[in-house]
Amino acid sequence: MEQDRAAIVHALRVSEQILSLVHEHTGRIEQLRPGARHCLDLGQVPRLNGLEAATLLRLVQHGRRRGVTVQFTGVRQQAHQAFIGLDLSLLDPPEPARGRLSLLESIGDHTLTAVATGRRLIEMIGELAYWLCLAPWRGKNIKWDRTHEQIVKIGVDGIPIVTFLSFLIGAVLALNAASQLRQFGAAIYIANLVAVSMTREMAPLITAIIVAGRSGSAITAELGTMVVSEEIDAMRTMALSPGRFLLLPRMLALLCAVPGLTMLSNVTGIFGGYWIGVLVLGLGSRNYLQQTGQALLMGDLVTGMIKSLVFAVLIGLVACYRGCYVHGGAEGVGTNTTASVVASIVLCILADAVFTTIFFYLA
Amino acid sequence: MATTHASPSVPPAVQVDGLVAEYDGRAVLDRVSMQAQQGEITVVLGESGCGKTTLLRHIVGLLTPKAGRVCINGQDFHAASEEERERILRDVGMSFQGGALFGSLTLEENVALPIIEHTQVDRDTATMLARMKLCVVGLEHAARLLPAEISGGMKKRAAVARALALDPGLLLFDELSAGLDPVTARELDELVLRLKEHLGVTIVIVTHELGSIQTIADRAVMLDAGKVLAAGSLEEVRQTDHPKIRAFFDRRPRARTLRGDLRDSLIVNGEQYGTGSG
Repeated sequence: MEQDRAAIVHALRVSEQILSLVHEHTGRIEQLRPGARHCLDLGQVPRLNGLEAATLLRLVQHGRRRGVTVQFTGVRQQAHQAFIGLDLSLLDPPEPARGRLSLLESIGDHTLTAVATGRRLIEMIGELAYWLCLAPWRGKNIKWDRTHEQIVKIGVDGIPIVTFLSFLIGAVLALNAASQLRQFGAAIYIANLVAVSMTREMAPLITAIIVAGRSGSAITAELGTMVVSEEIDAMRTMALSPGRFLLLPRMLALLCAVPGLTMLSNVTGIFGGYWIGVLVLGLGSRNYLQQTGQALLMGDLVTGMIKSLVFAVLIGLVACYRGCYVHGGAEGVGTNTTASVVASIVLCILADAVFTTIFFYLA
Repeated sequence: MATTHASPSVPPAVQVDGLVAEYDGRAVLDRVSMQAQQGEITVVLGESGCGKTTLLRHIVGLLTPKAGRVCINGQDFHAASEEERERILRDVGMSFQGGALFGSLTLEENVALPIIEHTQVDRDTATMLARMKLCVVGLEHAARLLPAEISGGMKKRAAVARALALDPGLLLFDELSAGLDPVTARELDELVLRLKEHLGVTIVIVTHELGSIQTIADRAVMLDAGKVLAAGSLEEVRQTDHPKIRAFFDRRPRARTLRGDLRDSLIVNGEQYGTGSG
């Protein structure tokens, strides 16, 4: 065992014999004129390791640069094996990695990527529209059983986390509002603030962020893994469309689950505010509920629901797209999953800003 | 080995004409033409990376050719409408190199899936049929297991069972017996022969397992760097006088030689080092 270890260590070293040979002959080669031939006898070298062979090849390289042909003579059969597969070009320093793209190249690169992404997204939307609207008329029904499975995964299983976080958000909103409104003796308006904030803004956004992080990532990872393990290809060879069996059920489930969870978030967020208002700030329960009832408008609820539907579409499209276009094995799945969550959240917040602006001016 | 000869009026089960395929501008298949006759076993041979799997993926429509065409039972697959393609694919079964089983489904659910989706049978009947298919490949005891709970060899056998689910007329196998123990590999070879002889199924197998090739192949297509080196009956291909084909069938390793620019720098046993002496 100790001997084997010594052999391994030895294999990574250049022996004194080779080092002195190289040193001696480097000097000799430098004294030769171009066109000369220089022979180095390796008859005394029983075997070579790869590093020693490469070190000897440096002599050949050194000679060529000076126009001198270097030859190794008397190479023993075992020693010559070390040269096989080696190439003088391997001794050259590796080409430096391509540097950063210039601004123009970068713009072009990003434009091409954006165009390709847009084209593939449109294809995917077209496929989803086909399976949703046209295919059922041709006898290919929507896979409701798979949709139901996904609704359970995305919606039902998401209830605890949405409930918990929305309650906390409602409570935090109430506490923050209390410190300001109490100065004006308007603490009761905490109820208005919580109700309006939750229904218009916080509930759809919080729910979308939770669903993007929890379910969007799961959809991307699941689809990506199926791509990597050729399961999607296997489906296609069985004449089963991934659009019908995988994408549409997930999209429909998101369209059902996200508004449902948003509604739940509205209720629990308002309850969070109520809990702080009544139990901590001492506002009357009846007053608080009355005030909340006055503040709640059907328009705000509808606005929140419209937002949640748009967020569901955005999360679904991003998650499915990222999942279906995974490249590079396990690392690709991880990268796309992260990108899916980030893109979903950014898009949802962007869409929220656009909606809020539109509704503000419409109101 | 019994060979079923198709009548001249029946088109080949698979006909590939001048297929060109590229990955990122790099040619992977260069004007490849081949045929798989009805009821025969055609083996696609070649070294790793020569384009065998790419050819198979074009045949089954997973990749679109840059040029050329693929006909299945006389019908141009890539020019066909979506409905026609679906009809063609219902008569094709394929098993992938790694099995490609659906990880969230048990083996019987994997096999039952195409039956449920493409036939009118109820779920119980589909499960029963799936169990029969699993029995054919010797996996009846593992029907309720998930793919993650079985070995690589069992996954391949399950993939074969799934490919057989709809009793297709054309079966495509990618590296069917690669990496399996000799007994299982032999069992799969015998299964392939049984499918051909008893059911008249046309089979295209991508492989480089010489043992399998010699046992099952009626015809062979030898690929090298994306080109067809030889095609014909196994005997014809085997007799082809091409160094790469000879090396393949003689299991001769590639000559390990010095790179060109070093040959004149090394003198072994008093002679300048030349090609092929490695």
